[in-house]
Amino acid sequence: MAMNDTEHRPLAGIRALELAEVWAGPFCGALLGDMGADVIKIESVQRIGRGPIRPRDGNPNYPDGEPGERPWNRGANFNGVNRNKLGITLDLTSPKGVDAFLDLVNLSDLVFSNYKFGVLDSFGIGYDTLRRVRPDIIMLEMPGYGNTGPYREYRSMGMTLDAIMGHSSLRGYPDLDRSLLTPVHHPDAVGGVTGVFAACTALHYRARTGQGQLIDLAQSETFISHIGEAFLEYGMTGRVRGPRGNRHPAMAPHGCYPCLGDDKWVTIAVRDEDEWEAFCRALGMPELAADRRFATLEARLKNQDDLDALIGRWTASMDRYEVTRLLQGRGIPAGPVLEAGGDIFDDPHLQEREYFQFVDHPDAGPHLLSGPIWKMSGAPEPLNNPTPPLGQDNERVLGRLLGLPDEVLQGLEEENIIGTVPLEGADLGGVRRVANRT
Amino acid sequence: MPYLALEGVRVIDAATGVAGPFCAKLLADYGAEVIKVERPGTGDSSRATGPFPDDLHHPEKSGLFLHLNTNKRGVTLDLANPAGRDLFRRLVRESDVLVESGPPGEMDSLGLGYQELADSNPGLVVTSITPFGQTGPHSGHEFTELTLFATTGAMNREGIPAREPLKYCGETAQYFAGNAAAAATMAASFGSLLSGRGQWIDISIQECMTGHPHQLSRRTAFAYSADDDSRQEPHTSFFSIVGEAYMVGTFRCKDGHVSILPVGSSMWPNFVRMVERPDLLDNPRFRDPTEREERHLELEAIFQPWLDARTKEQVFEAAHEAGLPCGPVLTVDEVMEDRHLVDRGYFTDIHHPDAGTLTYTGLPFHLSDVPREDQRPAPRLGQHNREVFGGMLGVGGDEMAALEAQMVLGESGPA
Repeated sequence: MAMNDTEHRPLAGIRALELAEVWAGPFCGALLGDMGADVIKIESVQRIGRGPIRPRDGNPNYPDGEPGERPWNRGANFNGVNRNKLGITLDLTSPKGVDAFLDLVNLSDLVFSNYKFGVLDSFGIGYDTLRRVRPDIIMLEMPGYGNTGPYREYRSMGMTLDAIMGHSSLRGYPDLDRSLLTPVHHPDAVGGVTGVFAACTALHYRARTGQGQLIDLAQSETFISHIGEAFLEYGMTGRVRGPRGNRHPAMAPHGCYPCLGDDKWVTIAVRDEDEWEAFCRALGMPELAADRRFATLEARLKNQDDLDALIGRWTASMDRYEVTRLLQGRGIPAGPVLEAGGDIFDDPHLQEREYFQFVDHPDAGPHLLSGPIWKMSGAPEPLNNPTPPLGQDNERVLGRLLGLPDEVLQGLEEENIIGTVPLEGADLGGVRRVANRT
Repeated sequence: MPYLALEGVRVIDAATGVAGPFCAKLLADYGAEVIKVERPGTGDSSRATGPFPDDLHHPEKSGLFLHLNTNKRGVTLDLANPAGRDLFRRLVRESDVLVESGPPGEMDSLGLGYQELADSNPGLVVTSITPFGQTGPHSGHEFTELTLFATTGAMNREGIPAREPLKYCGETAQYFAGNAAAAATMAASFGSLLSGRGQWIDISIQECMTGHPHQLSRRTAFAYSADDDSRQEPHTSFFSIVGEAYMVGTFRCKDGHVSILPVGSSMWPNFVRMVERPDLLDNPRFRDPTEREERHLELEAIFQPWLDARTKEQVFEAAHEAGLPCGPVLTVDEVMEDRHLVDRGYFTDIHHPDAGTLTYTGLPFHLSDVPREDQRPAPRLGQHNREVFGGMLGVGGDEMAALEAQMVLGESGPA
């Protein structure tokens, strides 16, 4: 039951069930789908992670600020991350929902989830149960803190993991209080990418041994190795690294400079003395290279504020792309600060690489978005199928794949075990949670 | 029957810097047989980066190199020399994966491009990692983490409106791309097991970070409604995405800072419970999400004194009791002593013959049915020349000596 053109896509024929919200799990699912896997995202009408059921008019998360009739299918945050999947609903707190889920497990290679420790067990779909249904199933659990340890029941979001894993102490303006830090949600994205690595490692192992796995992946721990050298620095020198802003201990100039226009910037880095001389020539100030304040790296680091001010005066009258062109033309690293939307669509390099694709979404309409993050020779056409509306593929998956007859599907819908419209309170952390409070 | 997860998978790591070697490290850490190929004399550029014990430069004691190259064997080869390239081809013919980071076109010009290597090894996976990809007008651009990060859309929103935008710490975009490369490589390896056909994987560090979920979310919002992504004043972001969020961000407390993200309507009663102000639930000024958002400064004025009276640890525990996502801002030394990571045995001590015993970061996940092995140190330059060229490829002693004399190989280090 391939939804995609699976010509030589590495995960063609693999089926994965996704039970996940926000980023780590869903991003993992999108990457698996990019590579040809059939990813079935399982949500429920009792609980949605698709934003509010009744957003305010003008909310920019919706096309033209209009929530529309089915806002849960039109939210940018959700639609951006959930490409290349089928979408079904199942109430996993009901026995019939669990039965259908286990029937799907029987037909699947991988089940992955980023729910907190204990949640899947509470539905009765922990690894031991799945293994009884399909002995070689691969289950990837990717909660914030992992499945063991004193914090395993603590709630986490990317931003809070960013703090507890050390990144927040290493970024930001060195001269300002940490309370001015921007929320950075990066560890959960790293968790998502690592999830793909873990799942494919397990698939590879299973292909050679016939054995499945339970994979314990803590989002927090996937990120810590990305600052691994800072821990070695502490071990080697006793120094606790702090924030450096945009500076670097072995390169100067190294920073972000204001350009022509409102909030337009360019970044520049000079890696060695030859580049420093070339840089001064590019500025039309060759004599600067031998200026005692800046003639060596040590001097430049010492007088970096003056150096940055001088460079800023030069860039202030220039377009950021012009600075980039001028410096890159002389082999000096430079790059404009681009927005995530907006000007990045105009980037000629990404355009020529066909990085952006038109996606026509049944509820949100057609938009230019971006999809796969790498290219493979065996699958040159990027897949960018629209994020599924809630329960869109109930019939296709539960009817055609599982073979449940129409009357049964109808009955499930009447009992709200499946559906396409969220129930009242589904956006408040789950209907049952609301019911328990009142 | 493979003992470790990737036992029997042979990987040639010809990459330098961060992204490529980190990709290969992930494979090595899970038991793949990774042979790192470095140029004779200087080796991988990260041998010169540091940090170094007592800040004394030494090519066998660079922290970045030691971290990125655990569990790998090391050989030297001069790929500018035809004899070196011949040996390289022979290595790759016996391998499943090649990870390389040469400028686009360079491997081709050396006769070591994907097409040529795959001809004699159709199942081969070649993972090529570059800052901007194999094609396109910027594929020849020079880069550093800063100047590349700027172009991914991740930088513009970082920092405060009154100041310049900020990068993340360290080499985050490169690590992210290396991590993505490992994922793509394992997928392609799995596909190759089944089909007998490999892949050439084109990883652009820029494209990985540009397609990160945060960028996807903001890009889609722009496509939908031209929503801008500029820097915000602290503690006021996020409302448009999730419908209700206030006091999002990092806050001072008694002995440091905490990061808190109370997002979603269910968080309001939790917050009220945490700060022990049940009266707020009945206060008409904070009756609904709109009013709570408009009056967030008043809420902050209630929150801050509560924080000022508590340590990071106390806030973290109180937030847990109340069901709010929260994390203390920890420094690297505090992370190493964090009781959760200690309980999970995350950090691992590794002994290196020159750098000594140091504490390294550990594995990012665990497989239930595969044993954990002790992690091995990064290789010295050319440490395994004899073992790999002599033992594995069967190059005789005289030929090895001749190749060393011609500088095709570096000197073989002590075994």
